[in-house]
Amino acid sequence: MKQKVVASLVSAAMVATLFAGCGSSSTSTSTSAASSAAASSAASSSSAAEESTSSSAAEETSSSSAATSASSEAVESTSASSSSSSSDSGWTNLDQFDGLKANDAYEFPVIVKSFQSTYWQAALKGMDQAASELGVTYSAQGPNAESDIADQVNMLNTAISSNPKGIALAACDTSSVIESLQTCADKNIPVVAFDTGIDDAPEGSMACTVVTDNTAAGATAADGMWEAIKDTVTNATDPVRIGEVSQDATALNIQQRTLGFINEMISLVQGAGKTVAVTGNEFYVDNAEGADADEGSADVVIEVGVPAQTTVELCSTEAQTILSKDDTIAIFGSNQVAAEGVLAANANLSVLGSDVSAGDIIAVGFDAGSTIKGAIEDGTMYGAVTQSPLMMGYYALYALTAAANGETLKDVDAPGYWYNADNMNDDQIAPNLYD
Amino acid sequence: MTKKKSLLNDQRFIAALVAIVLVVIYLIFSKEFRKYTSFLSMLDFSYYDILMAYGVTFPLITGGVDLSIGTGMVCYALVAGQMVRNNGLPVGAAIVLCLVLGLAIGILNGVLIGVMGLAPFIATLSTCMITRGIGSMCSATPWPTTSQAGGWFHSIFKWTFGTGRQAFKFPFGIILMLVLMFVLEFVLNHTKFGRYTIAIGSNREATALSGINVKFYHVMVYAVCGLLVGFSSVAYAAVTPTVQPGTGAGLEMDAIGGVFVGGVSATGGYGSIIGSFIGTMVIMLLKTGLPYIGLQSNWQQIITGAVLIISVMIDIVKKKGAAAKA
Repeated sequence: MKQKVVASLVSAAMVATLFAGCGSSSTSTSTSAASSAAASSAASSSSAAEESTSSSAAEETSSSSAATSASSEAVESTSASSSSSSSDSGWTNLDQFDGLKANDAYEFPVIVKSFQSTYWQAALKGMDQAASELGVTYSAQGPNAESDIADQVNMLNTAISSNPKGIALAACDTSSVIESLQTCADKNIPVVAFDTGIDDAPEGSMACTVVTDNTAAGATAADGMWEAIKDTVTNATDPVRIGEVSQDATALNIQQRTLGFINEMISLVQGAGKTVAVTGNEFYVDNAEGADADEGSADVVIEVGVPAQTTVELCSTEAQTILSKDDTIAIFGSNQVAAEGVLAANANLSVLGSDVSAGDIIAVGFDAGSTIKGAIEDGTMYGAVTQSPLMMGYYALYALTAAANGETLKDVDAPGYWYNADNMNDDQIAPNLYD
Repeated sequence: MTKKKSLLNDQRFIAALVAIVLVVIYLIFSKEFRKYTSFLSMLDFSYYDILMAYGVTFPLITGGVDLSIGTGMVCYALVAGQMVRNNGLPVGAAIVLCLVLGLAIGILNGVLIGVMGLAPFIATLSTCMITRGIGSMCSATPWPTTSQAGGWFHSIFKWTFGTGRQAFKFPFGIILMLVLMFVLEFVLNHTKFGRYTIAIGSNREATALSGINVKFYHVMVYAVCGLLVGFSSVAYAAVTPTVQPGTGAGLEMDAIGGVFVGGVSATGGYGSIIGSFIGTMVIMLLKTGLPYIGLQSNWQQIITGAVLIISVMIDIVKKKGAAAKA
């Protein structure tokens, strides 16, 4: 009996110690823990997913090409409008594709991050359209989940071993593909990186990148949000809080987008003569530029929440903690999962809206999906920034074809578009708002 | 020897104490946690975990495991959600479809393990992959929201009175979970099915030799688990704005971890549904509560791991104590 009492006391003490030990370190080892979590999840699921992946990937390709014909008109109208106004629409270097024709009936492997999100299906629709215009073909593959890094590397290596004329790649983890890219460089296989750029790619492996300028896109979100909150921030006598939820602190595009948002917001706030502090996730706190106060004394606090796993549920918990604070006036979810997490938190809180003076919290999202589109339509979400997956897919295949022809290419920057209930049906915006 | 019943002998009591301590810590350190909406959100996200935990308690008591519950749950929600979106299936029928799919995969698991003799780990790992693959074929699927046609299914778990900011929400799901807990606890301890489940876990050979149709009951164990997982997919769809294909791996570990915290014997032969409920609440408190006190939620996994070790340690210490007395 005594033994049991002692045992339970000891275990209670252990729990208490753990809490005490962790309590002081709210900005602790987030980055390393997150990356090790990602690594372990990739390791544990790689063997499991391997068998099912190829079949499901094949399935996806056929089903997406079946769904293409309906959307090809949309692509056509967008490509027409964007190529005619390529300078002011934010796209760069599109003129290098003028009059492009394939020298051969090329067949390209295309490796996406996953088929999880309809985002990738929009990208494949764009590729289908480009493929039919150019007379080339492609086969799309991707792991079951964006965290299945090892699976994707395997797919890339398999694609390389068939010596294709070019490979399009959206890397789940940019550092894991470096070795494979070196092989591409050695074998003279041009690689087009789309959606996600690869900063430290080996010399000579990258033919072209077709990616959203995520830093600029994040800044676009901050500008859009600022329209709604600038009066409140300027006139506030008490400190106010702006929330930010990011699904991770490891993927380059999420990092750039989040920092783009934070840095732009810092300069906007300072432009209004207020001091600003950044708190929360250590990586973003350390890398944000220009914060000039600490949490206790700042006029505006930007709080960044990053969950342990990239699930809507855990993003929602992060959003919930920020939205529950009395001084929160706005929140930004930096991708579809994070933005939906914000909306899930709001299901119980009901604090989001579009009128700050009435006490609404302004929510800004990123990407699309029917949940986010619905929330923007009914005013729950103030607005969002969309990338252009459709056109990125479209130009990625153009770049691949040009590279296979032997041309030297300049990188293509894709813009992020601000959209809200007013402009979401415009020609420039609507085709990119996947369901 | 008449055994003196002590509360401290009961791991469920210790788990409940841990839960209470956690709540007290959160209440002290977080102003936000004291809000009713935080309580609501936590419950919202706990229902599917609780249902999975109820389900997986049965295989765990037989000394087996069901790894397919996480991906299975997401898979059923996706398939049924896709039917609702694209084929106009009524939500009521979609719920039935979830239950049927869960039951089917459960029976498949049961046949593989109980009849064909596969190791539970391998059999359910395979169905875990299969359901994940099937789920990946679907597109990202939102079930109807509360305001859309078919949104009534949200009120299985949460009643909403009024609209907008003044709306009052009542977490009916927790009552449902408690009722289900007592029903299943009764099934486990006072029906033939429940007692044979425990008997299989204690000693399968002896149970078979005493003339019980072990194969049939073994299949039943996994079928019951599958049915509950089917129901959990409805709870999952109710709280997840868009069910994403390819997800779900790892969710089973929250449920299985919860069951162990609740005192199921790691080698089978003992367990209780009440314990699974309490254990899952502990896991939920760790998962969704830690961000409130400003902890990076990575710590949740580390702390959960530590709590698991402690709870299994208690089990071992308890057994040693009993052996020493005997």
